[in-house]
Amino acid sequence: MNPIWLLALVPPLAFACGWWLARRSHVKRSGERVNELSSDYFRGLNYLLNEEQDKALEVFLRLAEYNRDTVETHLALGNLFRKRGEVDRAIRLHQHLVSRQGLSDEMKTVALLELGEDYMRAGLLDRAETLFSDLVAMDALAPSALRHLIAIYQHEREWHKAIDHARRLEAMTGEDESAMIAQFYCELAEQSRQHGARTEARDYVRDAFACQENCVRAHMIAGRLSSEDGELEQAIASYEAAIAADIAFVPEILPPLLNCYARSGQMDRAEAFLREIMERYHGISPVLALTRLYEGRDGERTAIDFLTGQLRKRPSVRGLMALIDATMDKVSGEARENYLILRDLTRKLLEGQAMYRCSRCGFGAKAHHWQCPSCKSWGTVRPIHGVANE
Amino acid sequence: MRLIAIIFLLLFIAAGVVFGALNADLASFDLGFAQLSLPKGGAMLSAVLLGWILGGITAWLGTSLGHRRRRRRERKVESTTTA
Ligand SMILES: [Zn+2]
Repeated sequence: MNPIWLLALVPPLAFACGWWLARRSHVKRSGERVNELSSDYFRGLNYLLNEEQDKALEVFLRLAEYNRDTVETHLALGNLFRKRGEVDRAIRLHQHLVSRQGLSDEMKTVALLELGEDYMRAGLLDRAETLFSDLVAMDALAPSALRHLIAIYQHEREWHKAIDHARRLEAMTGEDESAMIAQFYCELAEQSRQHGARTEARDYVRDAFACQENCVRAHMIAGRLSSEDGELEQAIASYEAAIAADIAFVPEILPPLLNCYARSGQMDRAEAFLREIMERYHGISPVLALTRLYEGRDGERTAIDFLTGQLRKRPSVRGLMALIDATMDKVSGEARENYLILRDLTRKLLEGQAMYRCSRCGFGAKAHHWQCPSCKSWGTVRPIHGVANE
Repeated sequence: MRLIAIIFLLLFIAAGVVFGALNADLASFDLGFAQLSLPKGGAMLSAVLLGWILGGITAWLGTSLGHRRRRRRERKVESTTTA
């Protein structure tokens, strides 16, 4: 072959070299831009962690403005909008993300899930419901979608649907949700009881027991149903079983239980039971109940002696108030004035106190809730034990 | 790294000069519309240089055009979804 023809290869080779070098330097330059971006990103993150959400928002917005490929940034931005309560902006952002072409399926489902949360936050529960249902039907991120759906049904008090989806969640993740499902059945039982459908209510209680053998709430509802039907023995058994299941609920269970004892005229049995409870339970409720019992049966003197003896062992503002009330008639003159001041003071002390607290999120409440109003978990709100509380 | 690049550059320039000096005799080229006679080495080197520059320009045009096209498409999608 004539070597002069080899020379013809030289210009194309030079072309290829120039092309390759130009490409490479471009990639390098955009790499620098990515670096710049990620420093911005970390700045935004820093603001976010320092709770300076305004500044974080600004940085993320700029980031999204000049790099439209960063899906994660968009997601973070949407989250930020939602947390700030700017739900309509969050919705627009997530809708944009969902409608964007070239997004991986995985990212798209994440964006859909976020969109559903936006709808929930905005109170558009029906839209959120259809969206999450679609996700569940597509089998994409189904556990999260199912959890959101269950939350929606709880909010709408559609307990049957909640039970269905909780069972599906159980089957999907293998986690035990039976305590929650038992609570749903208890809600249904309460509903039926209030509407006067007593046999239906008893059926639901049975379902609750089938889910969770020792469901305190189911025992309590069973006790209430029996007591309303006049089956006092049955009611007492149910209430006692409730206390055996979870002794923390003594302050909730004692009043109806004592009522049943009184109606069936078994005050001695009540005394024995309260004595036994006092051994295991260190709150003030059983002491106060026994004091009232002694006061009615054996007279004021015995009651006061018992109460003062107990107050030394378990100091309690509620006990003190009971003591002041009981001894009020015995004093007169200046001492009585002081007594009145003392009584007012203790009452004020008790007024502002939360009697119950959620063991999960720390939410304090004056009345008992089966579902925590703050974190929405079931059966975590419990009586507070302390000098000023239980 | 930079030093090596400079050394290579100088080597190649020297090689080009030597190549040009060794092939200093004129060769005539017929481009159809014009006839010209150039030193053989010089013609060779300018062909290489021209190829190099054309390659660079092609690559640059390709990436920046692709960028602009994508930007435009995204903007269109955005305007239809937010409207
Ligand atoms: Zn809570």
